[in-house]
Amino acid sequence: MPILEINEVVKTFNGLSALKKVNLGIKKGDFFGLLGPNGAGKSTLMNCIVGYLNPDSGKILLNSNNITDLDLSYRMDIGYVPQEIALYQELSAMQNLRIFGGFYNVSKKYLNERINSVLNLVQLDDRKNDIVKTYSGGMKRRLNLAVSILHDPKLILCDEPTVGVDPQSRNAIFDMLAELNKDGKTILYTTHYMEEAERLCNRLAIIDYGKIIAEGTLNDLISLLEKRETIKIRKAPETKSLLESIKNLGDLGETDFYYELIPSNSSKLNSEIFSELENIKIPPHLLELSRASLEDVFLNLTGRRLRD
Amino acid sequence: MKNIIKLLRKDFIRFIIDKPAVMLTFLVPAVLIVIFGSIFGGGKGSRGKIPIIIVNESGVELADFIESEIDSSTSLRSVKTISDDSNNVIDISHDKAKELVKTGKYPAALVIPTDFFTDTSSALNFKYYYDPRNEIESQLIQGTIQKTIFAKMPQLFPLLMQRQAESFMGGESADSFKTEIATMMSEYFDMDPDSIIESMTSFDITELTNQNGDDSTNENFDVISNLINFESQQLVGAEIKNPGVTRIVGGWAIMFLLFTLTGAATSIFEEMQDGTLKRIFCMPIARYQFIFSKYIYSISLGVVQLIVLFLFAYFLYDVDIFSNIGNLLVIIFASAAAAVAFGMIITAASKSLAQANGIATLFILIMSALGGSWFPVTLFPDWMQVISKFTLTYWSVEAFLQVLWRNASFQDLLFPYLLILILIAFVANLIAINLFKKRQVI
Repeated sequence: MPILEINEVVKTFNGLSALKKVNLGIKKGDFFGLLGPNGAGKSTLMNCIVGYLNPDSGKILLNSNNITDLDLSYRMDIGYVPQEIALYQELSAMQNLRIFGGFYNVSKKYLNERINSVLNLVQLDDRKNDIVKTYSGGMKRRLNLAVSILHDPKLILCDEPTVGVDPQSRNAIFDMLAELNKDGKTILYTTHYMEEAERLCNRLAIIDYGKIIAEGTLNDLISLLEKRETIKIRKAPETKSLLESIKNLGDLGETDFYYELIPSNSSKLNSEIFSELENIKIPPHLLELSRASLEDVFLNLTGRRLRD
Repeated sequence: MKNIIKLLRKDFIRFIIDKPAVMLTFLVPAVLIVIFGSIFGGGKGSRGKIPIIIVNESGVELADFIESEIDSSTSLRSVKTISDDSNNVIDISHDKAKELVKTGKYPAALVIPTDFFTDTSSALNFKYYYDPRNEIESQLIQGTIQKTIFAKMPQLFPLLMQRQAESFMGGESADSFKTEIATMMSEYFDMDPDSIIESMTSFDITELTNQNGDDSTNENFDVISNLINFESQQLVGAEIKNPGVTRIVGGWAIMFLLFTLTGAATSIFEEMQDGTLKRIFCMPIARYQFIFSKYIYSISLGVVQLIVLFLFAYFLYDVDIFSNIGNLLVIIFASAAAAVAFGMIITAASKSLAQANGIATLFILIMSALGGSWFPVTLFPDWMQVISKFTLTYWSVEAFLQVLWRNASFQDLLFPYLLILILIAFVANLIAINLFKKRQVI
């Protein structure tokens, strides 16, 4: 049974549709990724789930109960990790944890136990009495997470929790979330980084312009592609002049160091495509075969890249 | 040079789109100039006339003349009648005048008594009752009255001096003195001694009233003042140890209270920007609880601030805050509640912290100036005095004066001061809540 169901949720801002009849089901224990470019509607959906915004229509069911029919105590089951560092920066980590923890109406003893537990999880025990504004960006992000899981929620909503974080801290946050998921927490994770979604999530949905355009496991989504591989062409001076010819062979994307080609004729063998590329004078040492990614799925579904 | 022009352009563009900065730069000084100009003159608006009760109990022509001189004063507005409970217009009596001054309805009363000027008077008698709740106002009234009366003194001088001399020498000696002078003058100038005595003792009052006052009489005041019996009685605040500070402490306190509490209310914006507001709204906390907690916090802060300010005034300047402490606390609470409600409206109506701060500064400075925090409201032009009554500062300043200066009872404070402050708080909160709802903050 899904812990969270989103049925036909619609939200508009000044006539602009942010969510267009969104449907989603998140099962207990899922690490569910909501992937989409900036402005796709991920945060709006999160805000509706946590009750910060009211949907114009549709239902959001938590454990089969419509959240609008529940009293505010349903929020005890939800831990929301906001995109911004939502902390009192002039206070210490300990003070922040005590203040926010106090809003959950738990006993002082339990709260103290939980504070110690989350500080240990986010590895901030030794800095707990320091003022937050003296923390590094990564430390603030970890504390931001700690505050959100202080009340031991069943469902954790992470709204791009690694924005602006260095790779080391990002990995630490991933490990913490993985551990929480392992402990039985259900996690809904929004991101526009496909690598994060691929690494963390067992189930995924892709949202674009307020609509869910695909949903399933990573394999389910990749199977939407006619070709499960892409051909990477390393950027070099000699490839640039041949771009028009390459485009005739399929959809062509671009990253910092590569052009990525998804062949338009799926029945062709990869070896045939490689031959055609060699025929238009692409040196073989610049070509690589790569497994299709969520980026390719998004490109295939929308004709745009995630970070466009 | 081109680069300097480009940099200048950049600064001007940034300044022009910063509406709060533009308001603070131009609008606030302009409004304050209008207010200062109205008080100290020089502008188009003329200073308001200060009301003063005139009771003329004397039937003599000179009394009527002085009364009419005060009536035509450019600084004072004579009040001689009031409406009674049945809305009938009645003349203000001597006792009623005292009562009206004592209860703060009017700042002063000049009574021209029955013994103002009799056939045997050696001085003019006046009774002056006053309430110096505003030092500037009180000095203006006294100065204007004295100037009006003293301006006519040179014409009265010979007669009054003669009567003073008679009083000093005794009736018989004076008569004998006058006879000897008349006899001596009649011998030298070949005149009738009786006509000389007649001219020495007669005095035509119509001559006096037909002459215009001379403004250059100030230097003669010391001499002349002996010829005027100006019986002053301070009806209120005579026992106050430090009247200067007692008068102003309320006005300044409410101004700083407004700054503090508007800051507290606009801290909602800071929480919005920091994301902590959203985090709290995603917790098991109702939005109205958040707003209500902000309200209580701000009021508490305001009450503590005012108590600390008044304690400072008590310890440093001997301002008596304890003889009417209960009512002082009531007004402190009501003023804080109204000030927070004002801050809430600003917060609810603004789109950003910068805008809220700009609007708040604009309104606080204008309300402080108009409401009597800086100058007595009675010095303003009449139209400005009407506007001042629409500021919470006015009612708060007046309420503090009632408590500290007049030692007013709770019943005296309840209407209108306390009720109006509570009404301001109530209405402002209603507006703020509606605005918050409209913007989906709550």
